[in-house]
Amino acid sequence: MLLRLEALSKRFGRDWVIRDLSLSLDRGEVVALLGPNGSGKTTLLRLMAGLLKPTRGRVERQGHALFLPNPPAFHRHLTAREHLLFDLAFHGAAGDWEGALKRFGLPAELPLAAFSSGMKKRLALARLTLLRPDLWLLDEPETALDQEGRALLQETIREARKGASVVLATHDRALAEAVADRAVWLGAA
Amino acid sequence: MWLLALRDLRLEVRDRAGLLSVLAFLGVTLFTMALALGPEEAPLRRAAPGVLWVALAFLSTLLSTRAFALEVEEGTLEDLLLAPGGKEWIYFGKLLFQMLLLLPLSLLALFLAAGLFYLPLEKGLPLFLTLALGTLGYASVATFYAGLLSRLRGREALLPLLLFSLVVPVVLASVRATAGLLEGLPLEEVASWWQLLLVFDAVYVTASALLFPLVMDG
Repeated sequence: MLLRLEALSKRFGRDWVIRDLSLSLDRGEVVALLGPNGSGKTTLLRLMAGLLKPTRGRVERQGHALFLPNPPAFHRHLTAREHLLFDLAFHGAAGDWEGALKRFGLPAELPLAAFSSGMKKRLALARLTLLRPDLWLLDEPETALDQEGRALLQETIREARKGASVVLATHDRALAEAVADRAVWLGAA
Repeated sequence: MWLLALRDLRLEVRDRAGLLSVLAFLGVTLFTMALALGPEEAPLRRAAPGVLWVALAFLSTLLSTRAFALEVEEGTLEDLLLAPGGKEWIYFGKLLFQMLLLLPLSLLALFLAAGLFYLPLEKGLPLFLTLALGTLGYASVATFYAGLLSRLRGREALLPLLLFSLVVPVVLASVRATAGLLEGLPLEEVASWWQLLLVFDAVYVTASALLFPLVMDG
């Protein structure tokens, strides 16, 4: 079991965003989180990552989790090469960053200030393929991607599941049907 | 630790605006105080250690806020928090980043103050040691609080309130040691202030590094 949520609840102020949610995830599984805006998809991903503490319930996680926010976060004054090299070294990982940039069709030496939203999303995916976490937590990964980018995203998720698990929050039912083993519907709290 | 510090240094140099504002702040503070207290030599020399350390204290506060603002503005703090390994390395990286900027800036402040406040610089090395020990003590607490407050609104207002009460001993000892060196006291007399600074540095760095992972958790 890579991830287990037990009666998980999260409240911001007086508003319950998530109530008594239980879920478990095995290695190799892909789960899609679906639901309208404000239904708690991003909050749930952040709880799974350990970036938020639950108000009630438990999150049990084994292995290393990485969270891809929407939009992805990068320093605008660094180039893609500098970002990936820093991330690899900071995470104590090794990988072919040049190959990853080539695969995702990204320039190595351009500052990220000059990247479009879609290019940043591609870079975030390239980063995840290099860091190889056990648990991929993707928040609306399809946003800002073009057709080619979406195909790359699906391919990346299918590859990731060979050694890891993926949870993606999405509004794109077609993407969820294409890559996920099961979907969790979060209604407005 | 070095990785993070050197990356932050690169970001700061490329951003330019932050570094320029820090330099401008330092220059304006020293010039304004020199104008306000001058032109007689005696009151300027008497006030110099206090003025110097007020400028360095504000400088360190500004830099500690910048160290985390770099991450908060871009949303990259969470990436650092999710990296494997202890979160205390984030604290050490941010502290090192500040010291890499604070040490040359402290020297610059000392030279500026020497010119504006008629300070003798014969004891250059002991003065630099005092600057290093004092700024480390101050920055160690400032980094901790800047991290703690980084995800809160109103952090710029809260940081000085929380910080200044805790760093009073460091500022006092630094001012006393600097004043002693500038007045030509023997090094043995100044050494007791250095010992005090060393103790505070060790306590503040250790306590901050131990508490930092807890305050950054969730």
